[in-house]
Amino acid sequence: MNYIKRKFDICKTVAWVTIKEYIAYRTHMLVSLFVGPVYFAVQYFIWGAIYGSGGEIAGIEYAQMIRYFGITALIGYLTWGSADWNLSMLIRTGKFLTFALRPIHHRFFAMSQKAGHRSLALFMEFLPCAAILMLVFNISLFPAHFGWFALSVILASVIHFFIAYCIGLFSFWVVRTDGLRLVYRLFDSIFAGFLIPLVFFPKWMQLIQFFLPFQYTAYVPAMVFLGEYKLGGYELTIPAIVGIQALAALVMFLISQLMYKAAIKRFAAVGA
Amino acid sequence: MKKFFKLYSNCIKIAVAGAMAYRLNFLLTTLLATILNALFPLVTILIYNAGASFPAWDFYEVLLVQGIFLLTSSLAYLVFDGVLWTTMYHIREGTFEVALLKPLSPLVFFISTTFTPEIFGGVVAGGVLFTVAVSFTGVASALAIVQFLLLFIAGFCTMAGLCMMMAATTFKWVGNSRIPEIYDSVMTFGKYPATIFPQVIRGVTAFAIPVAMIGFFPASALLGRIDTAAFFAVIACVLFMFLGIWLYNKMIKLYEGVGG
Repeated sequence: MNYIKRKFDICKTVAWVTIKEYIAYRTHMLVSLFVGPVYFAVQYFIWGAIYGSGGEIAGIEYAQMIRYFGITALIGYLTWGSADWNLSMLIRTGKFLTFALRPIHHRFFAMSQKAGHRSLALFMEFLPCAAILMLVFNISLFPAHFGWFALSVILASVIHFFIAYCIGLFSFWVVRTDGLRLVYRLFDSIFAGFLIPLVFFPKWMQLIQFFLPFQYTAYVPAMVFLGEYKLGGYELTIPAIVGIQALAALVMFLISQLMYKAAIKRFAAVGA
Repeated sequence: MKKFFKLYSNCIKIAVAGAMAYRLNFLLTTLLATILNALFPLVTILIYNAGASFPAWDFYEVLLVQGIFLLTSSLAYLVFDGVLWTTMYHIREGTFEVALLKPLSPLVFFISTTFTPEIFGGVVAGGVLFTVAVSFTGVASALAIVQFLLLFIAGFCTMAGLCMMMAATTFKWVGNSRIPEIYDSVMTFGKYPATIFPQVIRGVTAFAIPVAMIGFFPASALLGRIDTAAFFAVIACVLFMFLGIWLYNKMIKLYEGVGG
């Protein structure tokens, strides 16, 4: 119990320091109040034109589609992170040494930073943008199952963190991970479901998504929000898909742990 | 003007030689950029594959709009993208004097010295999409090609204006790397046929922030569907570019030389 309390205290302290650090750059976050609704407006008009008089496309109705794009945009604010860039920079410059000497694991420190950063985003990006989408576009942003949705978003944020951390760990081998991060961002935007719901992809590509981590960071929480999950011809209950999401988080944790153990052996602490 | 072009051609040679010093990196970056940009119309492909469509636009017509958009924006970024990042860097570091001390305008200096060959992949991808789309849609007439070229140049002017406005914003909003996102979000309206948007947005994207000229109007010209309003929008595009130049030069006065 003491162990958990100590961990929680560390997490809280790091998160709070991160909030104080990033609040100095609050206008960076406030950019989202313009960018988010503008991107959403484009989707709103595109899909309005495509649906025309109504009906379903790929099994999704117009109202569902609009809510899907609204919620994926908002989920992005709660899951986004730059652990890949941060870790890559620390390794490249040799500054990772200062973390290797600390009595806490760097991954825990980075995750606590993310918790702080995204907590700030909740108030500076998520809630204001949600209000804009509801008031301007008149869409309902109340989830079908609030508890499951909240859990799914937390798991999505955790999975996103582990993926980014693993990408960052590649810096122990290749030093500059810019290209790798670019490819990752591209795959993430396509296969997480930010561009279009995954049910629009060919069936074989939909099935592959069960074994890739991307859908668990946006598509799954968005479908939990809508209250029904379907992909690759399978329809799963909300508890089942959130369970699979939790399993994906565990797998990503184990992968990051294995990678960290292999990577730390290569650390020379001199930068590159 | 002759002096500028001589300077610019020399700077391009230096930029290409610099990129070629790490030719494998350059080739891989260009190849990656080509592949990534070729995925630009992915959403359109998936929409049409699902049996849906933009009203009155077939797949290759939309591909034409997006191919031209990618081609125009990549060409503009090739020339102007470095202006934003270099200006932002010098303002943040407090080293903008590097440009102010040169015997030519800071804007001309940055345009000349920040040619970015790595963006060439976008031009290649845009060219391929454009060629594929045109091979299916065909060209309405010889006059359509002339109209297309005029509107294409106007679209380039819009992009130039946008890039310079982005760079100008960095004088006031020091070190904010999210500035491009603001402009990118507005540009998104130019990636789709303007006819799907409400009348107000069509007016704004044609005359106020003429992003419809980056893809939609040139494509409409090639398809023989051009509206006379598009030719009035050319004036808006030229004015937009001059507004960008004026704004950049005006904002230089805000530079305080202390970094931030």
